Amino acid sequence: MTSPIFWVGVLTLALIYGSLAMVLNVESGWGGMWDLGVAGLLASGAYCYVILTIDDPELDTKFVPGWPMWLAWPAAALFTGLVALAIAVPALRLRREYFLITTLAFAEIIRQLIVIQTDLTRGTTGVANLDRPFDTIVEGRNYNYVLLGIVAFTALVVYLITRRVGRSAYGRALRAARDNEALALALGKPVNRMRIKTFVLVGVLIGAIAPVYLFYIRAISPQLFAPGITFTIWTALVIGGMGSIRGGVIGAVMLIGFTEAVGLIEVDPAHINILVAIEPFLVGLLLVAVLRFRPEGLFAERNTFGARRGNHRTNRRPASAPVGPITGAGTAAAAPTVSA
Amino acid sequence: MQNVIFGIVTGSTLAIATIGFAMVHQTENFLNIAHAQVMALGAFVGVFLVESYDLNIFLAGAITVIGVGVFGVGLAAVFFRPIRHLGGTVLLFTSIGLALMLYAVIIALFSTRPRIYPVGFGGLHEIAGVDIATGELVIVGLAFVGITALQLFLNGTGLGRAVRAVASNDDLARVRGVPVRRVSNTIWFISSAFAALAGVMIGVLSSVNAELGWHNILIILAAAVLGGLRSISGVIVAGLLLGIVMDVSVLYIPTAYRPVVAFGVLVAVLVFRPEGILSVQRRKEAVVT
Repeated sequence: MTSPIFWVGVLTLALIYGSLAMVLNVESGWGGMWDLGVAGLLASGAYCYVILTIDDPELDTKFVPGWPMWLAWPAAALFTGLVALAIAVPALRLRREYFLITTLAFAEIIRQLIVIQTDLTRGTTGVANLDRPFDTIVEGRNYNYVLLGIVAFTALVVYLITRRVGRSAYGRALRAARDNEALALALGKPVNRMRIKTFVLVGVLIGAIAPVYLFYIRAISPQLFAPGITFTIWTALVIGGMGSIRGGVIGAVMLIGFTEAVGLIEVDPAHINILVAIEPFLVGLLLVAVLRFRPEGLFAERNTFGARRGNHRTNRRPASAPVGPITGAGTAAAAPTVSA
Repeated sequence: MQNVIFGIVTGSTLAIATIGFAMVHQTENFLNIAHAQVMALGAFVGVFLVESYDLNIFLAGAITVIGVGVFGVGLAAVFFRPIRHLGGTVLLFTSIGLALMLYAVIIALFSTRPRIYPVGFGGLHEIAGVDIATGELVIVGLAFVGITALQLFLNGTGLGRAVRAVASNDDLARVRGVPVRRVSNTIWFISSAFAALAGVMIGVLSSVNAELGWHNILIILAAAVLGGLRSISGVIVAGLLLGIVMDVSVLYIPTAYRPVVAFGVLVAVLVFRPEGILSVQRRKEAVVT
């Protein structure tokens, strides 16, 4: 089973998760918004795309729009952005863990609605044998390389967008608001509007990645969007390092590579449930271990922006400087000012 | 009216499931996502004891509750105590990791095959025009006994007072010589034992499957947030209320929407009354505008 095709598949999946982790990093790493609703946004994009491209009346769905995929793809991104806006406005009235509960609840509401609306989504049956770009030109096993190309291109675009966001004044303001909200407000940053914008951007990007995820899976069902996928993306980001762009990708490659490699171990069919259990166990164990022994992840945020961060100078102050409450307050206030 | 009775039965199991979650949140200051998996573990251990050793359901339940309670103390000592100083976020994500691991252990040990407790519910009683089965009465009664015992323990014993002291001010309790480690162990035991009890109850009422934990964590979160996370009585009221709302809602909207109702209530409460239904204090996590 260790043919190159297998590892091409693993790398493809890892890059999809890596793209999602990079997007999550903008929201959670820089924006400080702890979002456990990634699965809900992914489901919105994926189902929007599938419903718009359905062209087979035998599937018994209410609509058979039969849109071409090049039209349905941006539409899915746009729709997911709107869903994100609808979630962001109420959810961002809350902080930290309450924001997290709300996003998780929204994701579950979305999933349950998908299960219930059978005439729109075919419920738990889902849709199988989805069309993929170029699959009429390149066939069979070779298509895996095409898919890897599409996914790699997507990951590159997501990387460039998130890097641009991270280095812009907007990205700096977002991090400043995360570190010291009162200060960011005092500097005249529209913190809440900024966060809503970020959440919508995250929605658009996830909505754009969702069809790529479907090209890999080739089928859709609500089970794909259980909270498990959110936790896997979070684990990739936490392993790689919150706040670091490449951290999410490298974390995803390590996590997916590791779990897929363990899945290769041959197990007696009688113990198939142990094989099923290996993946969640490893994801959980890695998450617990990284948080315990390296809570910053493999790549820390402070290395991401290098000398651009103003804190460096303040840290290098001579040790002989008087350490008192006044100095402490001074440096603490000075650092975000420089970065904002 | 019949659905209100169903709601009270659902609500009492929900209250039992949420109490432990809220206690850990009060004293350890984090949302323990693994709580629902401990509950699922309780449901599986209980059904395993009944099936394999042909034990009486009450004996099996008692062994499960005590066993899972001790197991919970061990989990806390291995996973949560060493990283307590790192704060609520790290603890929360560790609990997600632990939840995934427990979920995997449940699948590996008990497989994904759904199981049913081989217990009868006894005859129906008609009280004031509604039917209630003996089994349902027993579940509500057990929930009531459990909650009363917990209240007596918290208010009437020295250790219970120490638990409340740690819940209201951790540092002050430590300075005043409260045995913090022992209190922490007690809390984890109570929390896990109540989770196991809820697991067995839910298993008896419906069925036991590997997804039990993931299905219930949001409902537990909803009940805990609804109750305001600060007071045990708030959590009990919230659990009952949520159970009744879910079971009465099926009269007006399709049954399939039952879980959506719970999450909808959760979102509505968070957005419009983030301090919880019984609390007068504004939650500090809510944005003050």
